[in-house]
Amino acid sequence: MKTNILISLKKYIPIIILAALFMGCERDLPDLKPVTFPDNPLVFIDGFTAGLNYAAFGGSVPTAFDVDKKETYNNSAASMRFDVPNAGDPRGAYAGGVFYTGTGRNLTGYNALTFWAKASQSAVIDVVGFGNDLGASKYQVTIPGLQISTSWQKYIIPLPNSSVLTAERGMFYYSTGPVDGKGYSFWVDELKFENLGTIAHPQFSILNGQNQDETSFVGVEKTITGLAAVFNLPSGINQAVNISPAYFEFTSSNPSIATVDESGKVLVNGGPGVALITAKVGDAEVNGSLTIRSQGVFQLAPVPTRPAENVISVFSNAYTNVPVNYYNGYWEPYQTTLSADFEVDGDQILHYTNFNFVGIEFSSPTINASAMTHLHTDIFIPNALTGNAQLRFELVDLGTTVSGTFTTTITPGQSQQWISLDIPLSGFAGLSARNNLGQLIFVDGNENISNFYADNIYFYKDGSQPSSPATAAPVPTHPAGNVISVFSDSYTAIPGTDLNPFWGQATVVTTVQIQGNNTLKFAGLNYQGIQFGASQNVSSMGFLHLDFWTANSSALSVFLISPGPVETPYTLTVPTSGWSSIDIPLSSFAPVDLNDVIQLKFEGNGDIYLDNIYFRKN
Amino acid sequence: MNKINNFGRICIQSAVLLFAVILWGCERDNFQKLEKRNWQITWSDEFNGLAGQSPDASKWTFDLGTGQDGWGNSELQSYTNSPANISLDDEGNLVITAINEGNRFTSARIKTQGLFAQQYGRFEARIKTPYGPGIWPAFWMLGENIETEPWPACGEIDIMELRGQEPHIIHGTLHGPGYSGGNPVTGSYALVNDRFDNDFHLFAIEWDKDKIDFFVDDYLYQRIERSNVPGEWVYDQPFFILINLAVGGNYVGFPTAQTPFPQKMYIDYVRVYQEVK
Repeated sequence: MKTNILISLKKYIPIIILAALFMGCERDLPDLKPVTFPDNPLVFIDGFTAGLNYAAFGGSVPTAFDVDKKETYNNSAASMRFDVPNAGDPRGAYAGGVFYTGTGRNLTGYNALTFWAKASQSAVIDVVGFGNDLGASKYQVTIPGLQISTSWQKYIIPLPNSSVLTAERGMFYYSTGPVDGKGYSFWVDELKFENLGTIAHPQFSILNGQNQDETSFVGVEKTITGLAAVFNLPSGINQAVNISPAYFEFTSSNPSIATVDESGKVLVNGGPGVALITAKVGDAEVNGSLTIRSQGVFQLAPVPTRPAENVISVFSNAYTNVPVNYYNGYWEPYQTTLSADFEVDGDQILHYTNFNFVGIEFSSPTINASAMTHLHTDIFIPNALTGNAQLRFELVDLGTTVSGTFTTTITPGQSQQWISLDIPLSGFAGLSARNNLGQLIFVDGNENISNFYADNIYFYKDGSQPSSPATAAPVPTHPAGNVISVFSDSYTAIPGTDLNPFWGQATVVTTVQIQGNNTLKFAGLNYQGIQFGASQNVSSMGFLHLDFWTANSSALSVFLISPGPVETPYTLTVPTSGWSSIDIPLSSFAPVDLNDVIQLKFEGNGDIYLDNIYFRKN
Repeated sequence: MNKINNFGRICIQSAVLLFAVILWGCERDNFQKLEKRNWQITWSDEFNGLAGQSPDASKWTFDLGTGQDGWGNSELQSYTNSPANISLDDEGNLVITAINEGNRFTSARIKTQGLFAQQYGRFEARIKTPYGPGIWPAFWMLGENIETEPWPACGEIDIMELRGQEPHIIHGTLHGPGYSGGNPVTGSYALVNDRFDNDFHLFAIEWDKDKIDFFVDDYLYQRIERSNVPGEWVYDQPFFILINLAVGGNYVGFPTAQTPFPQKMYIDYVRVYQEVK
């Protein structure tokens, strides 16, 4: 007995003294503050405190919460009991609800919501939190996945910045379902707000603590995500909590370039220029920032015009997209590509940064592209290219696990503008089947593209146009004496002319017969030269004549070349509707030396048919 | 006897707490009335130096590696002398950093053995502690005769130890023959609604031939007199100083997945005084 008395004395004497003395010397302080709302820290001690109400969430068991007078913490008068239903309970699928007050409370003097809890079995409560007031719930704080054991333990929900909590109505809320289909009970007691000096080292972050740096444009909207808060609890462990954006005070260093609102939504509204978006929580610094490098007004990709019935769209605001698993698979371990997708004036644009390769998956379900003829993609490389870039497309058929590749060359002159690519599916080398297409992969072929935008990724059926000319090119009428011919059935060509000199190009050159007429075909053009058998003096000529036909090229130009090389391009309008005939004034090719021309060159994309290439007099 | 002693301890604790709260909580100026002593500094390290610099080799040597059985306590860390684990910070502190390297923990332990030892006096260090389950910082001393009189016969004075899962409590302890390991003479001091990792605190002992007094921020929280130790009083010879940051071990338990790493122990200074009469 004596021992018992000693033990209880040992336990309580210091505590009683402490309590008495602290009350004694600190009691007056709250009375000095002029408060509009009550600052009552108690939520549920031995029953509902003044003004406290309970509302169950829709779909939950309405009677899941009850006041329990048997199982209580420290033998107090009552606790809160929550009965989580079994799976399939007709009354509701889960237990969840909100404890709120009718009038707000001033919680600025507290930094934590604390309670004691135990469960009938070891369990994880899906969500417990603060700040749900059944309305805007502006200042919500939640702990996801709180592990509760079968003995009474104290739990702490740290509050990030209570100086904003001047009229808070959401005291406590919870939501959780059965464990392995089975229900259980848990108890919460002594639910109250405290000001704990033993919560330490708060760390706040936006963008998961990363300092992001983005090229952007007027009209781009982006919401700051990755909001996090971590506190070190009195037990020395770190506790992560999810907190709502309202706790963060976002700032733009340059609102004339980009603004940020209180929900963390960034709007680029000027440029060119730079704005740095940062945040604070109260007086605390926040890890992570966003640097917006606005380039000014953004040029949107050309709006697709193909009829929707001829299109299977993977990514476009012009069509209804098929289900897509992801636009960036973050394939470990070799992928470096990140996503910084954005939206301009309601048009969403994919932005791949730190690019090496990236895959888009559309496997549930796969795409049957057997009736389709082309893959369309609009590409924009925002940084100036220093040399030609090789962008490789790979399509994977998951039914046969075959894949095909197509590589396009992007010249420095094509960077910083939209490039519309219409790639014939027949051009994907190795793609022997396309009934179950599941992935599209972009690969940086020669490590020249650091980042790019993509839009309007879709397969389409080119039903209106054949992929090759049905008729031969028009027969020329110029007298042979006025002509120096490079390629034509109507004239004798310059002897020794090489129609396919190897200059490292990817283009496949063949001569095909159209209605018995020899026609030059450039398939999968990137560039292609023609080497004359001997240097030509065309100074007495007036024009370069061409007949050309293409259904799928989106860019085509012809160059005349004299030694040096001195070369000048001339842009041809593509695609064509039927054969296009053109007579290009040779003066267009200045400063090429017309006394000494040696080569022609074509640059662009797609499949091109050419005929009747010759110089002629006026 | 034991019960009476316990009851006496409770009374002292209560009285001390009462004292603490009255004087600390309300009026800090009228502090404990302790006899005035004339301390003269005999040794110190202020840890002023450039960031990344190692501690002064004329004052400190390193204990390296994992020792025998984790330095006798099943500690997990491997001690190094790498600046990543121990270096000055250019702000007047020595920083010991415990790092979780995935498959092992590294940290550091330094001592004045062979360079400095003193019998009696005041030994103090201003420290901001690390925190987290399984984190075990210590500022302590061992008898200089440890080579000839193995522990615990040489004596051990722990001026400050802290278990990272209780970041508001420090412990001051004597280990000697007959009262060592799990059965030492020890006392604790807890901050009220605060933690030792929130700011620097001054940890000290004042030691003479009759007793050792333990202080936090110049508040006497424990006096151990000759008659209080249940074995031989082995504190009449010079002791050297050790500072270390251990991870895991019998005293503190293992770190958990929720223990934050890296952990840093900041030491502003270590000063030693001798009383001048």
